[in-house]
Order: sequence, then C-alpha cells, then structure tokens
Amino acid sequence: MIEFNVLVVDDEDDFREVTTKRLTKRGLKVWDAAGGAKALEVIEETRIDVVLLDVKMPGMDGIETLRHIRSLKPLIEVVLLTGHASVDSGIEGMKLGAFDYLMKPIELEPLLEKLMDAYEKKRLREQKIEMAQMKKHMSMPS
Amino acid sequence: MERMRKYYLAIIRRLLITFFCLSVVPIFSFAWIMKGTVEETNVIKLEKLAQATIDHNAQLISAFLREKQELLQLLVSLNQEGAFFDQKQVEKMFLAISGNGDIVDLLVVDADGDQQSYVGPYRTLVAGKSYQDAAWFTETMLSGMHVSHMFSGYRNVPHFVVAVTDPLKSFVLRATINSSIFNSLLHSAQLGPKSDAFIVNRAGEFQTPSLLQRTKLNETEKLLLSFNLRNETVITANEVYATRWLINDHWLLILKADIGDSLDFYLQIRNRVILIVAVIIVLSLAGATYTSIALARRLEKADKEHAANSMQYAHVEKMATIGRLAAGIAHEINNPLQMITSQAGWIAELLPDEDPAQVRNFDEYRKSVEQIRHHVKRAGTITHRLLGFSRKISTENDRVQINDLVEETLSFVQKEAENNNITIIKNYADNLPPTLTDGPQVQQVLLNLLNNALDAVGQRGEVALRTSLCAGNRLCIECGDNGPGIRPEDLKRIFDPFFTTKETDKGTGLGLYISYNIVKKLGGTITAENKQGGGALFTVKLPVVTLNQQG
Repeated sequence: MIEFNVLVVDDEDDFREVTTKRLTKRGLKVWDAAGGAKALEVIEETRIDVVLLDVKMPGMDGIETLRHIRSLKPLIEVVLLTGHASVDSGIEGMKLGAFDYLMKPIELEPLLEKLMDAYEKKRLREQKIEMAQMKKHMSMPS
Repeated sequence: MERMRKYYLAIIRRLLITFFCLSVVPIFSFAWIMKGTVEETNVIKLEKLAQATIDHNAQLISAFLREKQELLQLLVSLNQEGAFFDQKQVEKMFLAISGNGDIVDLLVVDADGDQQSYVGPYRTLVAGKSYQDAAWFTETMLSGMHVSHMFSGYRNVPHFVVAVTDPLKSFVLRATINSSIFNSLLHSAQLGPKSDAFIVNRAGEFQTPSLLQRTKLNETEKLLLSFNLRNETVITANEVYATRWLINDHWLLILKADIGDSLDFYLQIRNRVILIVAVIIVLSLAGATYTSIALARRLEKADKEHAANSMQYAHVEKMATIGRLAAGIAHEINNPLQMITSQAGWIAELLPDEDPAQVRNFDEYRKSVEQIRHHVKRAGTITHRLLGFSRKISTENDRVQINDLVEETLSFVQKEAENNNITIIKNYADNLPPTLTDGPQVQQVLLNLLNNALDAVGQRGEVALRTSLCAGNRLCIECGDNGPGIRPEDLKRIFDPFFTTKETDKGTGLGLYISYNIVKKLGGTITAENKQGGGALFTVKLPVVTLNQQG
C-alpha cells in the first residue's frame, strides 16, 4: 500500500472521525479539519498530498477553500465530496482544478481508489518537475 | 363558462352601443339641422312669394278701383251739370265707359236723393226711387266719394258701387261695378291648392268669395283684421299670411299661403336625407356589429391564450419547485446515508479482526452489515436519480441521427417485446437532419418511454414509434401505445417525481420525472396525452442544433 498524506475536511465530526479511522487502517496518514480555515492551516503546517473536501460547509465553503488551496499549494490534489444536488458545483470545482468529485453516499473502496488516483497524479507531476529541475541543473555550466 | 360568455356579450353590447352612438348621433343631428334649415328656407321663400303676389294683386285692385273712380270723376268734370239729369245724355256716357262690361249700371241722383236718370238692367225697379236716406248717398254727399261693400244685388252677381258727386254737390253719379273681375284676379294669387286669397271688409265679411269656399274667417284672420297690420306677414305653424289694406282701409286683401303646399321640394330633400340616414344607420350598425364581435372574439382568444400560458407557466413553476424541493431533500438524506454506510463499512472492516470463535453471531453481523450497505446503496441510487445525477459531468454533445438512436434504443427492449408478443410499429421520417445533443441521455428518455409503453400494453399489444420534423424545425419523437391510456386526473401529475401507477415495487415514479428534466435540459419538450382511439401518446420534441448554433 502506497503511503501518502490525506487531509479530510468536513463539518460533520462523525464523518471525519470514521473516515479518518478507516483510511488510517488502510495505511494512509490522515489529518482532519472541521472547516476551510482550519484546513488551510493544516496545509501550511503539514505536507499534504491529497485533500478530501466537502463542498457544502458552514463558513468558508468547499469551493472557496479549494480556491485558497490552489493558490497556496498548487500541487496538492483535491477530491471534492458532495451531498449536493447540482452537478454544477462539481463542474465548477473541476474547472477550478479539483481532481474529481464524488457524490455522497460513497463506499470506502471507490473513495480510496479516487484518492489513490489523485495521489498518483500528484506524484507523476512532482516527478516531472523533479526531472525538469534536474535537467536544468545538469545543463547549467558549473 | 356561462359567466365568461355573459362577460363577452356585455363587451359586445357596450362596444355596439358606443360605435352606434359615435356614428349615428352625428348623422342624426346633421339630418335634424338640415331638416330645420330646409324648412326655414322654405318658409322664407314662401313669405317672399306671398309678399310679391299680394303686392301685385293689391296694386291691380287698387288700380282698378282708382280707374273707376277717376272715370266717374272725369265724367262729372267733363259734362255740364244739366247733362246728368238728361236720360239721353247719361245713356251716352254709359256707352262711353261700359266698354268692357265692368260697369253694370249708371245712376244719377239729385241733391235731394231723388233718382234723375238711370242706365242699366234694373230701370223699372229704380224708377222714382228716393235715396235720401241711403248710407252711400249721405256719405257721398259728405265726402264727395263712396265705395260700397260687395253685395249680390238683384241678379245675384257680386258687385259694388262707386259713387261720386260734383264739386257743388248738386248731384251724385253712381256706378255699379261687377266685381267678378276680382275673383279671377285673386285666382291668380292662389299659391297652392290649400292657399287662399280674398278680400274682406272691416266687418269681416267676404268681399270676394274665399277660393276655398269658406264662409267664415278663422281666428288668425280675425286677429289680422283687428290688429290693422300694414304690409307685414304673419307666419303661423302651417300658414303664411300677407295682408294689404285697399282703398283707404276700406277693404283688406288677405293672402293665405299654406306651408304644406310648398313643401314638395322640401319633402324631396327630406326623403333623400331620411334615406341616406337610414342607409348610414344600417351600414354603421352592420359595421359596429362586425367590429364589436370581431373585437370580442379577439379578446376572448387573447384571454384564452393568456390563460393557457398562465397554466403552462404554473406547470413549469410547479416542476421547478418540486425539483428544488426534491434536490434539497435528497441532499439532506445523502449526508446521513453517508454516515450509515461509513459506519457499516467500519464495522465490516473491523469484523475480520475478531475471533469468530469468540463472537457467537459473527456471520449474522457480517450479513447484517452487508444488508445495511446494500440498502444504503439502494437509497443512494434513488437520491442520485432524484437529483438527476449523472456520472457524466460534461455533457458532450454528439452528432446524433435520431432514427439511429431510436432504433438502437429499441434493440434494448426487442427481446422483452417479443416475449410478450408485442408488435412494434416503426414510422421513421427519412429527411431528419442530424442534431447535436446528448445521445445517451435521449436514449434514457426513450428507454423510459418504451418501458412504460411495454408495461402498459401487456400481452399482444401494439407500440408505435414515429419520428418526424415538426413545426419550428424541431425533431418529433412520438411513442404511442394501445394500452389503457392515462387517466385524465393523472395527466397533470404524470411528470411529478414519485408519481407512479405501477405496482409498489415495480416503479419508482422517477422515470418520467427524470425524462422530463433531461428533455428540458436539452432544450426540448415532452408532453403526454391520450389518443383519440385509446392508449397513451408521449411526444418528445428536440431542437435541431447545428455546429454553428452551439454556444
């Protein structure tokens, strides 16, 4: 099992709790945040790979939080989770650069799969960046 | 309905009255004024004519009388006094003046009133008669001249006498004058069949017979006589009177013209005006009726359209409200469903850690958790469908040939139809243009309709599919069946979510609701109706979208 860092952002404590427990059991490192502001704090402090973000939250909502995450840490992949009717908010999220979005209720397996896909994407991109940087260093006359 | 009919009738009535008044009242007033003017003109004309006629006649009569007086005076002045007492000489004079037969006889009376000479038809009657006390004699002796009133005399011929005396008043010369000449004169003064012309004396006695054979004066004529009017005309309701005094106010010439007689010209004009007015009234009545009815019809049509639009609008509103409501509920349910499935999943994950030997009902727990997860999934499916959720996020619009799409969809249900001996009648139009739309979504709609149709007809039924290009460049897909049709009260609710007529566990009541939303999203319409011959008919209309039109 690949190990990566996940941040679960949801205003429902029960959901955060059980999701954290289950993802941890699957071998991921899981942080959690009850709201957008808290999530941004965690991102600043910790190296997070993938964020599981609830779209509908009181205060700073998912879309707003997503915007901030994209500007703070563009490499972090975000998977939106919504109980909301409109596909529109999902589409909007994707336009803003979310990896994908999922509809509640969702089983753990597909969720985990999605998170792993997101991480894989992030990893590949980081690899590319690394390669590019390496090339840059190597081509530089020292 | 009755109330509306009355309302429109009231509108027609009101319009009719307004139009009618607007057209008829001016015409009527115009005609009325016209009538008055013509009437007045007529009276004025008549008055002028009466004046002219009476002037003419008065002149003639005066001239006639004056001539007779002057004639006698001439005789008196030309002859010696003695000649008048000589029968022979008087006969000569008579012959000289009675040329045209106006003068009936000639009488000479001496100053004592005794008859001296006479020439005329009544010689024996007047012989030796004394006129000393006769009014005419005394008056002549006093004023030198006398004109009598008319009288019939012995022969029953109207005549009057003119008497003069010589300056010394030694004798009186009297001539009896046949006045029938006046009658013919006055005949020419008759202005119409009901008009009259005659002479009366101050006492109101007819001096010439009334042309209308009247023997008495009417009130107006009596008034005219007593008022002593000069050269004036009096106009009453029906007549125009003109009067002239003759021979020192001795006689009054009265000319009466009947207004009615002169009305011929006026009546002609009046009849023409009445005819024109009648024609205009009829025309405007017809025009007003036509316009009113046409306007009311228009109004009725507009009202109906408005009502239909309102109803349609209300329906759209209702569907939108239901949609919002359903979405809200689904969302609220999705969160607890997530919790249930997460917790159940957690149990399922922890269960393998337990020692099955120590947990007595281990398998039951596992099974129970599976059941929970299964049913959450079921509930989730419903909420997702309710939300119109589609995994396919960006609706990629493909070039779709509707006929192919229908045919393809049909292949999904071909087997089921065959099993139930259901005939599928296809009627595709060849010339359908391809359109850019979401094929799979349209297919889902068609599948819903087909499934409903197959359920409705049961065994050995008929389902008809028809495609065509209908008004407004829209693609029409009709799906009809010969099943029991839709109950009228259900027609309104057929697209509502959870509305189903199928058995409890067979239908969710979401198929048509979802179809409705899909078609709406694709810019089309879906309608349900009952066919005339029985069975339901669903019509989906989709816009033809070409590459250029796509936003």
